[in-house]
Amino acid sequence: MIGQAAAPAPSPASAPASSPWLTGARARKLGYQVMIYTGAALLTGYCVVPLVWMLLTSLKPPGEVITYPPAILPREPTLRNFRLLFEESLILTFLWNSIVAAVGSTVLSILIGTLAAYSLTRYRYPGRGKLATLILLGYMFPPIVLIIPFFVWFKAIGLTDSYIGLTVTYVALGLPFATWLLWAFFQSIPLELEEAAWIDGATRARAIIHVVLPLSLPGVIATSIFTFIVAWNEYLFALILMNTDRMKTLPVGLADLLNRPMTDWGVIMAAGVVITVPALLFFILTQNYLVKGWGAGAVKG
Amino acid sequence: MSVLPRASLSVQPAGLVMRIRTSRDLPGVILVLPAVLTLTALLGYPVLYNLWLGFQQKHTIQPVGTWVGLQNYAFFLLNDRQFWDSFWLGLLYAIVTVVAQLVLGIGAALLLNEDFKGRMLVRGVALFPYMIPITLSVIIWRWVFNNQYGIANHLIVGTGITARPPLWLGPDWIFWTLCMISVWTFFPFVLISILARLQTVPPELYDAAKVDGAGAVGRFIHITLPQIQTVLFIVILLRSVWMFTKFDIVWMWGGQSYGGLGEFVRILPMYTYHRIFGLFQAGEGAALANIMFFMLLVAAYFYFRYFQTDEAHA
Repeated sequence: MIGQAAAPAPSPASAPASSPWLTGARARKLGYQVMIYTGAALLTGYCVVPLVWMLLTSLKPPGEVITYPPAILPREPTLRNFRLLFEESLILTFLWNSIVAAVGSTVLSILIGTLAAYSLTRYRYPGRGKLATLILLGYMFPPIVLIIPFFVWFKAIGLTDSYIGLTVTYVALGLPFATWLLWAFFQSIPLELEEAAWIDGATRARAIIHVVLPLSLPGVIATSIFTFIVAWNEYLFALILMNTDRMKTLPVGLADLLNRPMTDWGVIMAAGVVITVPALLFFILTQNYLVKGWGAGAVKG
Repeated sequence: MSVLPRASLSVQPAGLVMRIRTSRDLPGVILVLPAVLTLTALLGYPVLYNLWLGFQQKHTIQPVGTWVGLQNYAFFLLNDRQFWDSFWLGLLYAIVTVVAQLVLGIGAALLLNEDFKGRMLVRGVALFPYMIPITLSVIIWRWVFNNQYGIANHLIVGTGITARPPLWLGPDWIFWTLCMISVWTFFPFVLISILARLQTVPPELYDAAKVDGAGAVGRFIHITLPQIQTVLFIVILLRSVWMFTKFDIVWMWGGQSYGGLGEFVRILPMYTYHRIFGLFQAGEGAALANIMFFMLLVAAYFYFRYFQTDEAHA
């Protein structure tokens, strides 16, 4: 599979060797094109078809949802599932809770992470190298190791069922990752640029504001998005720390829908659509930052 | 090559910079302090707390515990069948899903590194599974694999492979469908990491290889693989650790319960969770978490030791 997709150019095996009306080169080019577009179609289908199926199901009335064999397109499309969802579930509350925790933890992680990343790339002090190892370790930290201490700790000081508790938790999950990414970004900004500003008489602070920040902005944006996604999608800590319905986040509230005695798949799929659409729109808008950010950061050698 | 960001890259002081530098280490320490303190409090403290808790028998909610020394560890490692079952199942889960993610992720990255119409669109779409909440991918796939009304069964019967499709969420299949949806959910991480690296490979390398008559496979082995080696090293490490410690997708796929079908996907994090919040045995749970953490540290140590040096020689 690797070998096949690897072919960045015509692979002799994939081209019909001696078609009467195709010369070798053209045949290879055609074979290559067919291979690439087939691969692209398969990949797209694999990633998108389940989501499309969700959308289609969400538009079907109950009778059409549970029929076998399933009809692909809704015969009588309806918004009934969406209406029920907003009327009968707390989805807007869940949405709000998710936004608060994700935004709060992202802002904190980025703030602390940026300071650390700048310091780590621009200053020399003992123990700096060790810190790198520790941050990588934090990045790999099994969440289940944190669950008891956080639970006991927050229970004791009354931070369960609170935004603060969950936000702090997400900083624990997001900060190592954010620092790691930002670190790589700051390394890619040449120190000489800052030095040039100093020679021109700028203070360190001015050099940071006018030279470093503009250059690191794409990195900061990319890192923010990743940190946000980590918090936005998190399930385990939200499950343990947020117990009352009104404080639940989207992932937990959504999972609860599956546990109802009568599973209403139409409504569940509608909830899925409500969550997916804004997230994916946001993602499409920021995609370029994401891919560049990833390249510069997380896993750079 | 080191996998850690080389913080010292930029530090080759010339005269002017040197003078500035001698007086400037203190602000650096101050700037890094919030991160160090936060990480110490939020990651360091829990580790110590867990170590201490692992030596006790303590109810998860009641405040007082009894000191029992190494009893918890001895029990799990020597006497507990469930522990070892969970361990092996978790290992299988991690290996199967990481290998599949790598194959799929690298394949897709190579494809998306080619120049074709609509490439950007496909690239964006291919990241969808990783960007949606895990709860959502569980929900979608539970519906696709639904035993009564699922589209998966319909398609399989339709293509005539079998008239009696299996119960995808039944005891025989639930682990394997879990692997399938895990790969779907997490392979984009491999894809985007590898793709980002591939795009920095100078095309001249491939042109030169073509002139030398290297085939597609030859180019992959001799050019692509060495170029992505470092990133692959980190990706394999992170994905293995993350799959081995995965809780959410496994728990939800198993029906959010320890018993019933959950039994067939009971990997170590799920077992730990059950001890802590099902049986309210915080001491035992902490011991399990510590064992898991220790295993990871040992594995990571040997991984770095053997694979990183190999790579440096390559």
